[in-house]
Amino acid sequence: MNLYEFSQRALMTAMLVYSASFFIYMIALGGKKWSSRKSPERTQKWGWYGFAAAAVGLAAHVTFFVTRWMAAGHIPTSNMYEFMTMLAMAIMMAFIVIYLIYRNVLLGAFTLPLAVIIIAYASVFPSEIQPLIPSLNSNWLRLHVTTAALGEAFFAVGFTAALVQLLRVVDFTRTDKAGMRARRWVESFLLVILIVVGFLISVFSFRIAGYEVEYRQVKVSVDQFGQQTTTERLVTYNLPPIVKPHGGEIMAADTFLGTTDSLFEAPSWLKGVNADRKLNTILWSIISGLILYGLLRLIARKQLGAVIHPRLSDINPDDLDEISYRSIAIGYPLFTLGGLIFAMIWAQVAWSRFWGWDPKEVWALITWLFYTAYLHLRLSRGWIGAKSAWLAVVGFLVVLFTLIGVNLVIAGLHSYAGVS
Amino acid sequence: MLFENTKCECGHQNPVGTVLCEYCGMPLIEEIKTDPASPLEMRYDGMARRSQKSNPNLVDRIWRFFSSVRVAVWLIVLTLIGAALGTIYPQESTFINLKTSEEFRNYYKQEYGTMGEIYHALGLSRVYESWWFVGLLVMIGTSLVICSLDRVLPLYRALSKQQVRKHLQFITRQQVVYQGPEPQDRMAWLDKFEQALKKKRYRVWRDGDALMAEKNRFSRWGPYINHIGLIIFLLAILGRGVPAWNMDQYITLYDGETQQIPNTHYYVKNEKFTVEYYSDEELPQSLKGTVRPKLFNTRAILYECTANCDDPSKEPVLVEVKKHDIRMNQPLTYKGLSLYQFDYNDKPKLLSVSPVLVDKTTGEKYGPIHLSIRDPALTYEAGPYTLTLKDKFMDFGGFDSEGRPMSKSREPNAPAFIFIIKGPDLPENGETYIYFPNQIDKVRFGQDILNKALVDKLELRVEGMENVSIAENASTLNVRMDRAMPFVWTGAGIFLFGVVIGLYWNHRRIWLRFDDGVLSLGAHTNKNHYGLKTELAVMMNKSGIEVTVERLDNRRKTV
Amino acid sequence: MKVNRKLLQYIVLAAVLIVGGYAIGQSLYHPSPVIAKGSSIPDFKLVALDGSVHDSAAYAGKPMIINFWGTFCPPCREEMPALQSIYEEYGDQVTMIGINLSEDKVTVSNFVQQVGVTFPILFDRNRMTEKKFGLRQYPTTFFVRPDGKVMEMLFGLPLKEEQIRSRVEALLATS
Repeated sequence: MNLYEFSQRALMTAMLVYSASFFIYMIALGGKKWSSRKSPERTQKWGWYGFAAAAVGLAAHVTFFVTRWMAAGHIPTSNMYEFMTMLAMAIMMAFIVIYLIYRNVLLGAFTLPLAVIIIAYASVFPSEIQPLIPSLNSNWLRLHVTTAALGEAFFAVGFTAALVQLLRVVDFTRTDKAGMRARRWVESFLLVILIVVGFLISVFSFRIAGYEVEYRQVKVSVDQFGQQTTTERLVTYNLPPIVKPHGGEIMAADTFLGTTDSLFEAPSWLKGVNADRKLNTILWSIISGLILYGLLRLIARKQLGAVIHPRLSDINPDDLDEISYRSIAIGYPLFTLGGLIFAMIWAQVAWSRFWGWDPKEVWALITWLFYTAYLHLRLSRGWIGAKSAWLAVVGFLVVLFTLIGVNLVIAGLHSYAGVS
Repeated sequence: MLFENTKCECGHQNPVGTVLCEYCGMPLIEEIKTDPASPLEMRYDGMARRSQKSNPNLVDRIWRFFSSVRVAVWLIVLTLIGAALGTIYPQESTFINLKTSEEFRNYYKQEYGTMGEIYHALGLSRVYESWWFVGLLVMIGTSLVICSLDRVLPLYRALSKQQVRKHLQFITRQQVVYQGPEPQDRMAWLDKFEQALKKKRYRVWRDGDALMAEKNRFSRWGPYINHIGLIIFLLAILGRGVPAWNMDQYITLYDGETQQIPNTHYYVKNEKFTVEYYSDEELPQSLKGTVRPKLFNTRAILYECTANCDDPSKEPVLVEVKKHDIRMNQPLTYKGLSLYQFDYNDKPKLLSVSPVLVDKTTGEKYGPIHLSIRDPALTYEAGPYTLTLKDKFMDFGGFDSEGRPMSKSREPNAPAFIFIIKGPDLPENGETYIYFPNQIDKVRFGQDILNKALVDKLELRVEGMENVSIAENASTLNVRMDRAMPFVWTGAGIFLFGVVIGLYWNHRRIWLRFDDGVLSLGAHTNKNHYGLKTELAVMMNKSGIEVTVERLDNRRKTV
Repeated sequence: MKVNRKLLQYIVLAAVLIVGGYAIGQSLYHPSPVIAKGSSIPDFKLVALDGSVHDSAAYAGKPMIINFWGTFCPPCREEMPALQSIYEEYGDQVTMIGINLSEDKVTVSNFVQQVGVTFPILFDRNRMTEKKFGLRQYPTTFFVRPDGKVMEMLFGLPLKEEQIRSRVEALLATS
């Protein structure tokens, strides 16, 4: 087994151990409801077991990182797969720091699944080691990516604490207008999480089944001089086609539900690299997310938030509020340094301009501005509690858009990620 | 006009608008006076900020507007939204070839349909240079200055002359409070507590049996330092717009070519450009066999002109000042000037040929003569023959409307030389000879037919590739000068410093007093109450008073 | 203290107005990347066919016609005789110069001799002057007023004598 295979095994181990840690944390929490022995000592004890498991998982994760580094000859942060796995590692590091300060078991129960989901999402992308193109071969780049990821990791932990705080604080028994609205927001948010899970489940299920459909699309375009150009494009779908490429004809296809036909055809005005395949993937994610949600609602027979909410009633929301804020306060200077300053230095050295209003740069700035507003509202305007929690949640969505959305939706110098 | 009573019961006269007495801390404002349980508003230690005056004039109103944090947050949010709008479609600045508004409108309409047209019409295709975006940044800068000035002065005053003995209400309405029976020996306990405090790096002041402890005051200046950093940063960015302070141009140089950097006295030479590719061993399976560049390198020399610099009729005298291998991420820098590797093209260019003149009757070869494609010399000697260059075409082909031969372009795609050859056995005025260095052109244009007068006597031809000089690559360098950059980095660095000391350290203060056998202790921090409570509990336990973290919590309940 | 505060306020707001005004003003003013009607022509200093050095500063005060051309450009070749004609007619009132687009001396002098051009032909080097003038098409002819500002630019199609003459008359009318 060579170094690369070893590193892949280490990552798989990390993911499994993180899942185990998650279950231990659930036991630590659930004990209050299931066991007759309601003791904070018991919770704390199981909390430490969960923490130990998380630490072991992180050790395996760091092993993955180091061995992949050795195998590749350069720090593994240069494509989507490497970056996301590194981000998950940073989130676990941030979690360890915050946990050691606050010893909050609930944080563990929600942060670990986040790390697992991120690793799973990373695994959608090709994991092969690729050589660096010259423009990416710089120490400033390494500093930029790792420091920014560390800052974002703390934002992620802040997001987790804020999410739990909202689940705790939004009153799911209220039926007045404002109360219903708050409940619906939280519920929609849980749905979004399920859509992400749905995406992962769909992609991996069909990948394991080896499903593939190949289309050939012929495009004829006329430019301003009246010249006609014909381009041929081959595109492969790894999910059954709900939406097939405009005017695409099937070259080779596996059947799904007994057919190779698609439900719709992508409209001709849909532009962008692989826009039709991306749209198909998005539709699959939404549908599987909705199915998951529907099933869970059927089992629970009420809003999912209402299921979780009572289980959290023993938690002091002020603690979560403080954890959330403190995480973001720790992450903000790191993000400023890594996501903006190191990025500017690297851009200056590599492309001779420290800021070019590239979409990725702009969204990093937007993330920074957002958290600046968060800190000002919190520190100078006294925004604490649910208001601040919502901001922390939205802030992380902005971070995710900066990391993933910009590559997928917008093109630019920065989109070197690879696969959609 | 309503006169507010601002004289505290302790005797101190406070400025109008003071929330907590500057001297003893007693709450002055009516609303907070009447609710004894609510924690105190401790912002700026309750001091009056200059902008809260009655009867403001225009200047006051503008000042108050910009000193408001609510306004600042709005400005941040608007900038955020504006920046996001600019990412929907590529901005105008990304298109190097389009220049006029008309061209952009057509492009957006063509590529993105009506949405694109609207986008362009609203000016969203050039957000970051637009007047309103710049205006937002200007307002943020203004807000930074005014917010800071408005707050830093009262804060400095509040923190530099603090009273040790505070009013009881001030103490009992902090967010971290302890009240309990006083310990056996008041003074002994105070000493012990002071020890515990000093161990945790607090500065301690005593006033009889009252005590005040403080640490990390420097962290309060963090926000103002980071604001200064941002102001410097913004000013530096503005400074970059001044033409004398920045330059951004591109130069394309063939291997061996030297060119002047426009608007300067510097010249740069591309000695050789090389590109290295990853070998198959270095590539993963899926990429094997593909061409993936590993390294771009331009061996460059920078010269400075020392004489004849402005005289186009003379050759400038150049002195070498710097030699450097320019690569991605490794520019050549010299006195504020930076040369970056930008691009390259591998279209080879014929530089010169050195043909020999062959006497076809005797087989003798004369020469070789060195023929430069660009700026060739006008006369050449080859043995007994003299060749005078009469005309030259870079890209031979075609005739103009008068039937005269002409070049199709300026590029050396099909160079042709027309010589007058004089020498033995030739007419006195010489014979015309047309020469095509490229074999393919020789054939295409029928060199031998055109030269029928000489075709049996003489031939000019190149023997061997070593007599041909070709430049394989052209390297494009980006030349930049940015005098404001040091200030950009300074501003950013100061900002980071301010943010770090403001967020990673917390300003903590503890006050205590004894009244009728009761010890009252209050503590305040601007952030991280959890840490304060934990630390205080540890210190109090060390001093002999048993207390838990929960017991100390006096916060207002969050919703 | 009070007086100091007021002064501080005024100083800060004044500084904001100046700096802010400059910043916003800069964003509103787009310097045109190409020379257009009404803009001043850039300076240049080039060698002529006869070896003399011509500095654009020396031309100030007289209307000027600048013709950018190359031997590889058919319309440029076609219009050269027309330009020569006009030069013979108005040469003492209007400065006429041709700037060659960075070609070799031997190529240029051949063509000039063939047509019989007598007005100054200047050599551009490394395309620097054509870049300064923002040229995008050949030929481009600038009709410049005595104050150095462009009255009109024509490009692409070969000029006819009549077209040049009418513009020369317009130029002379302005001086």
